[in-house]
Amino acid sequence: MDILSICRWLDSTRLNAAMRMSTWFFPTFDTIHTLGIVLVAGTIMLVDLRLLGVALRREPVAAVVGRIVPWTLRGFALMFVTGTLLFSSEAVKLYHSPAFRIKLGLLALAGLNALIFHLTIYRDVANWDQQAPAPLRARVAGLLSLAFWIAIIAAGRAIAYGSGYDLG
Amino acid sequence: MMALSLLPVFEWMESTPVGQGIRQSASLIALVEAVHLIGMTLLLGTLLMVDLSLLGFGIGRAPASRIARELRGWTAAGLAIMLLSGPLMLSSEAVRCYNSPPFWIKMALLAVAVTFHFTTHNRVATQDPPAQHRSAVWTACVSLGLWTSVALAGKAIAIFQQN
Repeated sequence: MDILSICRWLDSTRLNAAMRMSTWFFPTFDTIHTLGIVLVAGTIMLVDLRLLGVALRREPVAAVVGRIVPWTLRGFALMFVTGTLLFSSEAVKLYHSPAFRIKLGLLALAGLNALIFHLTIYRDVANWDQQAPAPLRARVAGLLSLAFWIAIIAAGRAIAYGSGYDLG
Repeated sequence: MMALSLLPVFEWMESTPVGQGIRQSASLIALVEAVHLIGMTLLLGTLLMVDLSLLGFGIGRAPASRIARELRGWTAAGLAIMLLSGPLMLSSEAVRCYNSPPFWIKMALLAVAVTFHFTTHNRVATQDPPAQHRSAVWTACVSLGLWTSVALAGKAIAIFQQN
């Protein structure tokens, strides 16, 4: 079964019909989804700015990460659950939306960037905890993360405007 | 009376080349909204950190005042991005906003939030020695509540679109 058939099946379910018929479903979940993204991106940006050495310079990196990342994960849970439901309410339409595909790709890249950061340079954070800016590889991770999340927000807005950035 | 006298201003905003240009391009609307959201992300992310510190969930042993001083420039930058992109969004649909109750609620909440931010919040957050726990907690809760309300009212402008 390919992805498009799964999307067609999602659109045919009773849950989907209920979500599309409801006047409050989309506005409510769209609002919670937006707040979730703001929480994720807003907290990650703090870590990124610290890595780049332009904010919270006097605080150890591990202390910033330890306090901030739980909030990032809470935001991510909100964003993921509401995002999945929003997707199932118009699966086929989103399957064909270039902006939606770009957003998913960017999310994967942001996740990969965070994973690589945590598995490599962050492992010996104790050696550079107090440095501001952080070592080059950590700065690159911070800069990429900022760029990905800005692009994710932009792609999300583009989905809302249908054809998105088609320059039309 | 005052409301009556403002309508021509909103009509004028919408008639400017900027207003017309944004109105006619879905890409431009999406772009300006994205910039507005990125400003909001910066504003709310940095404020959350400061308010968590006030609530006693700060970074390590760092005093809230240090966190607040380090981040207030970024919060102001986020606010500046919003205050530049907001009027651009408004100009693309000024008359609709003029007739939208959520728009006026948002403007009122925004005025209160900005005033609170630069007076009480700034004073309590940067206080050395730290403010009393009760007043710190109260300030953090009002701050988070006000800014979340501003954001929700903003979303409501888009949701409640009656003609």
